[in-house]
Amino acid sequence: MKTKTTLQTRRKFLRTSMLGAAASWTLPVFLEKTFFALDALAAEAATQAVTGKDGTILVVLQMAGGNDGLNMVVPYADDAYHVARPRLRLAPDQVLKIDDHIALNPKLAGMKSLYDEGHVAIVQGVGYPNPNRSHFRSTEIWQTASDADRTLSEGWLGRYFDNCCSGADPTVGVAIGEETPQAFAAKNPTGVTFSRPEQFRFRPSEPNNGKMSAEEILFRQLNEAGGGDESGTAATNAGGSIGAISGKTKNDLSTLDFLQRTALDAQLSSDKILAIARKYKSTVPYPQGQLAASLNIISRMIAGGLPTRVYYASQGGFDTHAGQINTHERLMGEFNDAVSAFVADLKQQGNFDRVLLMSFSEFGRRVQENANGGTDHGAAAPMFVLGGAVKAGLFGKYPSLTELDRGDLKFNTDFRSVYGTVLDRWLKAPSQTVLGRKFPGIGIV
Amino acid sequence: MNMLTPLPDSKWNDATAAHLLNRAAFGGTPDEIERTRQKGLTAAVRDFVDVKADAADVAPPAWAHPRNIRAQRMEIKAAKDRGENFQSKVREVRMMEGDEMIDLRRWWLDRMLNGPAPLLEKMTLFWHGHFATSTQKVRDAYWMWLQNDTLRRNALGNFGALAKKMSRDPAMMIYLDLQQSRQEHPNENWARELMELFTVGIGNYSEQDIGESARAFTGYRIDFTTQQFHFAPFQQDHQSKTFMGRNGNLNGDEIIDMLVSKPACAQFIGRKLWRFFVEDDPSSAVVDSVAGTIRKHNFEMRPVLREIFSSGEFYSERAMGSQIKSPVQYIVQTSKLLNAPAPPPLAAQNAMRQMGQILFAPPNVKGWDGGKQWISTSTLLFRYNFANYLINGDAILPPNLRQPRQGADVGFGRAAQYAEQIKRDPVDVGKLVPADLRAKSHEVVDLLAKRFFQTRPTQKEIDAFAQFLESRGPDITDANLRELIHLMMSTPQFQLA
Repeated sequence: MKTKTTLQTRRKFLRTSMLGAAASWTLPVFLEKTFFALDALAAEAATQAVTGKDGTILVVLQMAGGNDGLNMVVPYADDAYHVARPRLRLAPDQVLKIDDHIALNPKLAGMKSLYDEGHVAIVQGVGYPNPNRSHFRSTEIWQTASDADRTLSEGWLGRYFDNCCSGADPTVGVAIGEETPQAFAAKNPTGVTFSRPEQFRFRPSEPNNGKMSAEEILFRQLNEAGGGDESGTAATNAGGSIGAISGKTKNDLSTLDFLQRTALDAQLSSDKILAIARKYKSTVPYPQGQLAASLNIISRMIAGGLPTRVYYASQGGFDTHAGQINTHERLMGEFNDAVSAFVADLKQQGNFDRVLLMSFSEFGRRVQENANGGTDHGAAAPMFVLGGAVKAGLFGKYPSLTELDRGDLKFNTDFRSVYGTVLDRWLKAPSQTVLGRKFPGIGIV
Repeated sequence: MNMLTPLPDSKWNDATAAHLLNRAAFGGTPDEIERTRQKGLTAAVRDFVDVKADAADVAPPAWAHPRNIRAQRMEIKAAKDRGENFQSKVREVRMMEGDEMIDLRRWWLDRMLNGPAPLLEKMTLFWHGHFATSTQKVRDAYWMWLQNDTLRRNALGNFGALAKKMSRDPAMMIYLDLQQSRQEHPNENWARELMELFTVGIGNYSEQDIGESARAFTGYRIDFTTQQFHFAPFQQDHQSKTFMGRNGNLNGDEIIDMLVSKPACAQFIGRKLWRFFVEDDPSSAVVDSVAGTIRKHNFEMRPVLREIFSSGEFYSERAMGSQIKSPVQYIVQTSKLLNAPAPPPLAAQNAMRQMGQILFAPPNVKGWDGGKQWISTSTLLFRYNFANYLINGDAILPPNLRQPRQGADVGFGRAAQYAEQIKRDPVDVGKLVPADLRAKSHEVVDLLAKRFFQTRPTQKEIDAFAQFLESRGPDITDANLRELIHLMMSTPQFQLA
C-alpha cells in the first residue's frame, strides 16, 4: 500500500512535470506495465514508505583518511595521553570539558553546546575485530559492514535500499560528491549522486537560455516512455511484455525495461532536485568549504521535501601523518562550523527532530605520535551521532591508552552496533536483514 | 544434453555478425559488420580466436620496467626516522605512480580500440575482473602492467596454468597478502579467495581446506629490489596437509591442480564466461554445457571460446542486443562508432570512475558484477553527458568533467594542466554522413540509426529524429548532425550491445 503511494506520487509528478503539462499525455501502456511489475515486486518485500513530510532522515558523514579520535574526543585527564603526544597533546586548559576525563577539541565549541543541549551522543571506542590499517580496505569494511576477513560487494545502505525500499523513489538515497559511495552499492542500484544540483541533469549540445529547446524536448520524449511512444506499440518496442520476460526471474525487469525505468527515474529526480534547489535557499549562513556546501545542499533538499531517507556527505584530508596539529585543528573547525550551520538551518526549518547525523572514519590514529609531528594509521575511534531526537551522552567506554593492540586503541563497541541501532530505531528497518546478524543496540536514540 | 550446437548458416547475417563483434570484440562499424558477415561464421570466429602467436607481444609503456622499490622505501623511511620532511618524496612517488596509472589505462584502451586482436583484449579484461587486483592496494604501475601482461599472454590458454601464474604474480600477492604469508603465520586471504572467487566457488570447500591450503602457499615471496617473484624454501611449510580429503606435503601448484579437477571449477568458470560474453542469468542447462566443453578441452580457453561463439545459443534472441555495455566497452565502442580517437587519458579515467569501472581498480576482489549494476540514475545521466563531450569536444563539457579530483590516481597539483589535458575536438561528422545525403533527413536518420543502434528504432522514433533534423534546417550543419547523434546516444537503447 505504501508503494502505491510512491507510485502515485511518481505518476502525479510525471503528469505535472514540465513536459507532462505541455504535452498532456497519458501514461503509456508500457509504463503502466512497468509500474505494475514494480508494484507486484514491492508487495512481496517489506517495503518502506516514502519519507513524505514527517519521515526520519539519516545523514551519514564520512571523515575520510582516518580521523584522530584522540584529539577529537580528548582523554585530557589521562597521563598516558600527554606522554604519548608530547607535541600533539591538547592541554587541559584548552579543551572543552565534558566530564572529569573526557573533553572535546577546542574547535568543537558548537558541538559542545549542542551536547549540553542534549542533542549529541558520542560513542567511544568504536571499531571491529581484527582491525585493518589500510585506508582502502578499512573503508570498505565500514562501507559494507562486513567482518574484517570477508569481502562483501553491496554496501550496508545499499542492502537497506534493496531490502526495505524497493519501489521507492530513486532519491531515497542521495550522496553529495563525484562518486557514489560503496555504502550505496546495491543489487538494484538506486540513489542519486551529484556534487551540485545543476550538474545532475541532461546537458543538451546547444546551451539553452531558460527555454526548453527542440533538442531537450526530444530528449525527454526518448527517455520518458520507451521512446515517447504513447500507442500500444510501446510494448513491442520494449522488447515484449513484462509477463513474457524470462520466466525464471519473474520479478526481474528485462534489461531494456530496466534501462527505460532508470532513464525515467533520472529525469524525474533531476527535475525535482533542480526545482528544489531553485526554490529553497537557506537563510542561515554557512561557512566556506566543501562539507558546508554539501550539508547546505542536503538541508535544502530536506526543506524541499525530497523523499530521501539517507543522505551521504564527506569531508576529506584526515590522513595526518605529518604536521598534524594545524591540519587537524582546521579540519575540526570545518566540521564544527559546517555541522553547526546545518543544525541551525534544520532547527529553523523545524526539521531538526527528523534528522539524525552520524559521523564515522575508517580508523582512528596511533596513540603514540610519530617523529614528524603526525600520527600513523590506528584502530578504534569515537563516532558522533546527533539530532533533535538523539539521546545525549557518552556511550561505550574510552579505551585504555596503555593496554593497546599494536600501539592502537582497542575497540569496545562494534560499529555495526551503531549502524544496527540507527537501522532499527531510527529508520525502522530490520537491522538483522541488512547487517546479516543482530548486533547489541545502544541507547543513542 | 549439449546446448552448444552450431548456429545454422542460414542464421548468419548482419545482426548475428554485429552480435559477434559486440561480444568477442568491442563492437563494429557498419563496414566491419559487413566484412565480418562476408567472411562467414567459421572464418569470422577463427579470426577472433586464432590470434597470431605474437599477438601478446605488445610493446609495454616506456616506464614499465622494474625498479628497486626497497631502496626507495628505505630512503623515505630513513628521512621519516630522522624527523625530516619526507612528504615531498612521498608526494613525488605518488605523483609518478598516478601519472603512470593514467598512462597504463591509456595504453590498454588503445590496445582495445586499435589492437589487432580484440578478443585477446576482451579476454584479458575478463581475467582482470576474475583475478581482480587493484592498484589502490598494490600502488605500483609496473606491477599492474606486469599482471596485465601475464593475463594477456595466458588469456586464451590454459586456466590452471593461468591460476598458477597468478599465485606467483606480485600484484596479486600484494593484493591478497600472499607475500606476507609465512610458515608460522600462514595468511588465509589468498587461499580463501582462490577457492571462493577464482576456482570452485562458495559452498565447495571447508574452512579447514582454507587453513590447510594457506600452509601450502607459504614461501611465496617478492624481491623488492627487482620487483619479481621468488620462492623462499625456508618460509615454506613442509609438514603434511590434509586438503579436500588428500594427505601429503602438498604445495601450492598441487592445490590448484586439485581445485581445477573439481567439477565445480568448470561450472564456476563456465558460468562466469557465459555471463561475461552472453547473458546475465544463464540457465543451468547452458552452464552445464559450457562446463562440459571446458572439461572436454582440459580448460584450454581457445577451443572453448570457439564453441561458444559458434553456437546457436550464443546468438539467441534473448542474448542479442541485451547486454548493458560496460563502461570500458562504452568508451571503446563509442570511439569506434564515432570514428574518433579514444578520449584523452585523463578524461577517460575520470569517465571510467564516474561510470563505475576504472581499469586496474576494481572495487574489490570480487571484480565488477556488471549487468544492471552498471546503471543508476547517476551513471546513466553521466553517460548521456559524457556522450556530449565525446561528440562535441571540450567546448561543451559537463562541469563534473572539468574538475580534477585529488588523489593518487589522478596525481597532485595538476589542476592548472587539467583543462589542457582534456581538450578534445568535435567529431568530424563528414566522415559519418556523406555531404549529398544531408538534405534527406530520413536517409540521414536511417544511416545513423544503423550505425548507433543494435535494433532499429520504432518508426515513431525514426520520424521524431527526422522531424528534429528538419526543424534545424533548411541547411543542416555539422553541429545539427552532432546534436542528432548526441540524442541517439542519450537513450536507453544506446546502452545496449
